[in-house]
Amino acid sequence: MVEDSIFLRSLDLFKDAFPGRINQILKSKEDGKKIVGTLCLYVPDEIIYACGADRVILCGGRSAPIVAAEEYLPRNLCPLIKSSFGSVIDQKCSKTKSCPHFGLVDLIVAEATCDGKKKMYELLDKYIPTYVMDLPQKPENQNALEYYIKELDSLKDVLEKLTGNKITDVLLRKEIKSANETRRLLHALYELRKRDSPPIRGTEMLKVLQQMHFLAPDEFRKNLVLLLDELKVKKRESSGPRIMISGCPMASGNMKVPEIIENRGGLIVVEESCTGTRAFWDLVDENKEPMRALAERYLKIPCACMSPNDRRIAQILQLAGDFNVDGVVYYTLQFCHGYNVEKYRVGEALKQSGIPLLSIETDYSGADSEQIKTRVDAFLEMLE
Amino acid sequence: MISVGIDAGAATTKAVVLRDNEIAGYIIIPTGFDFRKAGEKAYEEVLSKCGINKIEVGKILATGYGRSSIGFADKTISEITAHARGVGYLIPAAHTIIDIGGQDSKVIITENGKVVDFLMNDRCAAGTGKFLEYTAKALEISLNELGTLALVSKNPAKISSMCTVFAESEVISLRAQKTKKEDIAAGLIESIILRATSMVKKLGIKPEVAFVGGVAKNPGVVKAFEKALDTRVQLPEEPQITGAFGAALLI
Repeated sequence: MVEDSIFLRSLDLFKDAFPGRINQILKSKEDGKKIVGTLCLYVPDEIIYACGADRVILCGGRSAPIVAAEEYLPRNLCPLIKSSFGSVIDQKCSKTKSCPHFGLVDLIVAEATCDGKKKMYELLDKYIPTYVMDLPQKPENQNALEYYIKELDSLKDVLEKLTGNKITDVLLRKEIKSANETRRLLHALYELRKRDSPPIRGTEMLKVLQQMHFLAPDEFRKNLVLLLDELKVKKRESSGPRIMISGCPMASGNMKVPEIIENRGGLIVVEESCTGTRAFWDLVDENKEPMRALAERYLKIPCACMSPNDRRIAQILQLAGDFNVDGVVYYTLQFCHGYNVEKYRVGEALKQSGIPLLSIETDYSGADSEQIKTRVDAFLEMLE
Repeated sequence: MISVGIDAGAATTKAVVLRDNEIAGYIIIPTGFDFRKAGEKAYEEVLSKCGINKIEVGKILATGYGRSSIGFADKTISEITAHARGVGYLIPAAHTIIDIGGQDSKVIITENGKVVDFLMNDRCAAGTGKFLEYTAKALEISLNELGTLALVSKNPAKISSMCTVFAESEVISLRAQKTKKEDIAAGLIESIILRATSMVKKLGIKPEVAFVGGVAKNPGVVKAFEKALDTRVQLPEEPQITGAFGAALLI
């Protein structure tokens, strides 16, 4: 990787947004606005905003809150679940206020994705009222879409009760339009990553996407426009094997593996992840009835909690071709059964396409950094 | 041209001196706490063993877990690439390399001396040299004795714990049940074989199989591997230095 002196000033907008956003939430609360916490892409932002509420993501990527969480949760549970839960109880029960937004939430809209999360939500409800939205687990089933629409309708009722506002089709259409605009901008940005020398690195892109569901949509989009303007004119010399990351989300605070990959000379060009393409890939059809259009779009998210999840495999192969990927780093969190089991099928599909795969299963600690470096080095040497 | 490869392993540091691609000499020393010091010591000792002056050395390449600590090396390379190169040179017919060292175990699939796929065990000591070292202690025998003792076992004990710490207590239970020492020894070896063979099977065995790393010096393990994989396993003359040798070749 050739390091140059390029400095993307607009990246600071994302990096330094935290205190401003906290103040914004505090002020919204004073004005009577309700704050909704979410932990998954299957909960449509559009419905929350159409209801006049604000939304903030509660997925934990930091290692520190895990110790507190392990007083309630088993050790052999995925670190994202433990970190999220630990961050909430930390805000509710102690005086350390490092991530205050966890304590500012009026309602958590959770979802029935993996078993670990579902059971954790039962405990979480004791600290912050938690509403769990059900999901069809077999999205290709005939009734799946209708069922999901019904669940979104119930969510609409819950949110209307919370805020006292009515969610109208006009409001939904406005939010859908605005969210689609953000998705189009992200597509434009990813388009630049297809270049031989992408103007933005994977670690930089990840920091942007980690803010996507933390910042208010308008602010995120405004910053994205500035970043895109800057990227379009800046040239950057970058080289090294082109890597796709595929697998579990990397919530804010978790940068371990992408940092190792890029420090050792890899070039991350695309992430098939919730902090990557899954967050924005499909658009909502603006011409259809809004709730149905939302359900159709969100049910397409290829999460490993779904079965069968063929569309994820198809997506990975498609992205590998489009972004001219040399190798895939399959990233999983320990004890994440969905993504860990799905690794086999992804591996087989990649093997058939002649794309090498390195699998890394890890947690939020730094204990295995050296072992990961050895694997990453060997993988990059193999690709060169 | 003289080149030196240094393999800064977790348990031992290996240095190999090459003169025009032929081994002029090598050394294996315990790593101890400090990778850097062990690397310097191995370097100096191997040069004096070969009667070579530092000025004559062309290039130094470091590999192994502590490779980044070898500050005087011209370049570093992962031990996976280094082993593939080293074994590829010594046993050209080998395309599946099993390396069991003190800190980790790995399986490497090669084509023309180049890595095409590999797997490394998880971060703990399960399935590594450390596992045998610890459990041998629970049997109150040396690591070498463990291998030779295992060869005479007719009825290997079942050791179900992959975890080194749990296996140690399992050994103590077996002793209490008056299980024969050789049967426990054979059981321990079978347990680490099981782990390595599952990695080999995951990648798909590609003939022929070479076995390197410190654990390959243990005759009991080699025999058990041949049985488990149902194929002959090839060993280089000195299985512990293929990483350092490969590194020296890669210059």
